[in-house]
Amino acid sequence: MRAIPSPLFFRLPETSENLSQLFAGNDMFLFKPEQKIKETLHFYDTFDWKTWKANNQVILNGKKLVVYDFKGHYAICSAPFRRVPRSFFPDSIDNKEISAKLGRLAKLRAFMQFGSVETLLQNWRLLDDNRKTVATVEFRRLSNNHQNDGSIFLTLYPVRGYDRFFESAAVRIRQACGNSTEITSKGYYQALMKDAGVTPGNYSSKPSVKLNPRDTILDSAKILQLSALDILSANEEWIPKHIDTEFLHDYRVAVRRIRSILAQCKGVFPPDKLAHYKKAFRELGKRTNNLRDQDVYLLQEKRFMSILPEQMRDFLKPFFTDLLNRQKKELRSFTRYLRSDAYRTLMHEWEHFLRSDISSDPETTPAAKTTTVDFAVLTVGKTWKKVIRHGRNISTVATDTELHALRIDCKKLRYLLEFYASVFPARTLQKVLKQLKTLQNNLGVFVDLSVQQTYLFDYLSSLEADTHAISFSAAIGGLITALHHEREETRQNFHNAFDTFDSDETEALFHALLKKSR
Amino acid sequence: MKTIALYSIKGGVGKTASAVNLAYLSSQSKPPTLICDLDPQGASSFYFRIVPNRKFSSKKFLKGSSKIYDNIKGTDYENLDLLPADFSYRNLDIELMEEKKPQKKLKNNIRELNTEYPFIFFDCPPNLTLLSESVFAASDIILVPLIPTTLSLRTFDQLLSFFRENKLDRSRIRGFFTMYERRKSMHRDIVAEYSGQKQFLRKVIPYNSEVEKMGLYRAPLNAVRPHTPASIAYKLLWEELMNEVGIDNS
Repeated sequence: MRAIPSPLFFRLPETSENLSQLFAGNDMFLFKPEQKIKETLHFYDTFDWKTWKANNQVILNGKKLVVYDFKGHYAICSAPFRRVPRSFFPDSIDNKEISAKLGRLAKLRAFMQFGSVETLLQNWRLLDDNRKTVATVEFRRLSNNHQNDGSIFLTLYPVRGYDRFFESAAVRIRQACGNSTEITSKGYYQALMKDAGVTPGNYSSKPSVKLNPRDTILDSAKILQLSALDILSANEEWIPKHIDTEFLHDYRVAVRRIRSILAQCKGVFPPDKLAHYKKAFRELGKRTNNLRDQDVYLLQEKRFMSILPEQMRDFLKPFFTDLLNRQKKELRSFTRYLRSDAYRTLMHEWEHFLRSDISSDPETTPAAKTTTVDFAVLTVGKTWKKVIRHGRNISTVATDTELHALRIDCKKLRYLLEFYASVFPARTLQKVLKQLKTLQNNLGVFVDLSVQQTYLFDYLSSLEADTHAISFSAAIGGLITALHHEREETRQNFHNAFDTFDSDETEALFHALLKKSR
Repeated sequence: MKTIALYSIKGGVGKTASAVNLAYLSSQSKPPTLICDLDPQGASSFYFRIVPNRKFSSKKFLKGSSKIYDNIKGTDYENLDLLPADFSYRNLDIELMEEKKPQKKLKNNIRELNTEYPFIFFDCPPNLTLLSESVFAASDIILVPLIPTTLSLRTFDQLLSFFRENKLDRSRIRGFFTMYERRKSMHRDIVAEYSGQKQFLRKVIPYNSEVEKMGLYRAPLNAVRPHTPASIAYKLLWEELMNEVGIDNS
């Protein structure tokens, strides 16, 4: 419904910022300069550039936090914001609109300050005969960096209801500066960020490597493992800073991916190396388990509180305080490990191994020369059938062990599909993944609820008998009961979820997937 | 969306000055804000140096949303827009009579604007006509500026009676005193008696020659002279209004 034209952006070579020069000989506008001001822009985004990827930009100018939209080229929302934090979470912002907008972009990730740039601003008002402002021109010059080429950015902003003036001004500027100086809003912010030393968009937790289906699986496995290793090294320095829970989460997923590929690499990697690294990464994964569990409970704090009746919520507070303390200790210990020689050596050797020429030996590594596509089809087919077989064997009232086991099977299948994503036809793969995700959601919720119950139960058992603990125990007890009900509901839904996956439709999709790629 | 009408049966009591300043303050705290200038004299349009589009008229205004939308203009202040009044608005009453439900007309016409503006102000012409009734139906709050004199109070009573007789919700009406001169005993007495009563706001706008100069500045006083007594009083009045009507300030 917004009936206002979008602002226009220009990048001018170093000339004077004199508006009357640009508008020489004009009789349409009068000009009124405003005071020059210094403005420092601070750029925020999540570690994985969620805002940038969504064509948005979060900027703090010392007074206001503004979210820009590159498609509409205007600020979608803004709010007064006096602090300049290193990082913040969307729910810490008072302004509901921004909080909701950023919350939708990134649920669990913190917005981190990636860089700042000092600029010098000069606004000019373009006035009509009535001395009414009908458009504004903003000159922005970068002031902190000697490396910049001295560019000046000009932005022409419309005023609602004065389109005719805006268009004439645009024509003028284009004529005076040349069409080539016009840039997009994205280009404008990109240039500003570049000056702040920020290059957006170079991290994603998802493996994005493109495999050649005709390469040997040995080569492809190496590529996949190296990309997972990249994720490890990208996150390891951030985990100790504890800015958000996703650094550890991505790290753990990468470890699991490495282990998952290793598990498939029987006959691809030399057996002694395979056994060694399988063990090493299993242990590495284990080291992060407690920390992740604590993260999960702390993230659930609000939900846990809301489960309990209001008068019992306060009783639960010691549980979270205790968790926080434990987490601090755990984080210290894991940080020490990340900085230890043992860890450095493991990473170094692993990378060295992946980059070295691994000679294939028909006896120890008979599968190494198989083509990637054959290997992918074989392993995906096998794993899929395993999921179906195991799922069908699950009793009418599914037991915990059965569901736990099936969840792991599903995870394996998911990872395989993701590894070989570039080998399979994209459309079919997407449909298959969608079916699988629904089943995984059911299993995931079930297992999470089970783990949470066990954890709370163990926690309760470890409490010393103490009269003060009565209300606290009651709160934990209440929580366990509520989680139990939720879990039983999920258990009952399991068969529905599995039947959808174990359907003719999904089977056809899998056949298509495996057949098409050959 | 909250709609606030600056209304008085009597002229020259500070409707436009109040509408312009309060709308400016609203655009700062609850952006964006729209002022609809409903007075054919176009005083608030004049204050913002805005001239309506040549083809805009009372007929277009009565057509509703999209026509209104096309004719909204940005003021010189961020997040403050204005729908200018056209001289043809002098016929609004006659034209309203030809409409099916004239009282509901304004309410229906601005309905679609509510997604964009959390606050809409109406700067009304003096008098009590069909247009006024349309304004009453469309407004969440009817703010009545009063000079602390008997004549002003009398028109306020007339307004209350009109609401009573027509079974309208009187709780939406809030009077407040403008052009208050402390040296005048009548002003002092009236303000002491009424200010803070149920249907009155507590804050009083003092007489300040700067308000009259708005015609020279052609800008909200709160924007160009934020530290004059009247500007400060308007700011306090706005804050009181926000608390009074339960508009949270977040």
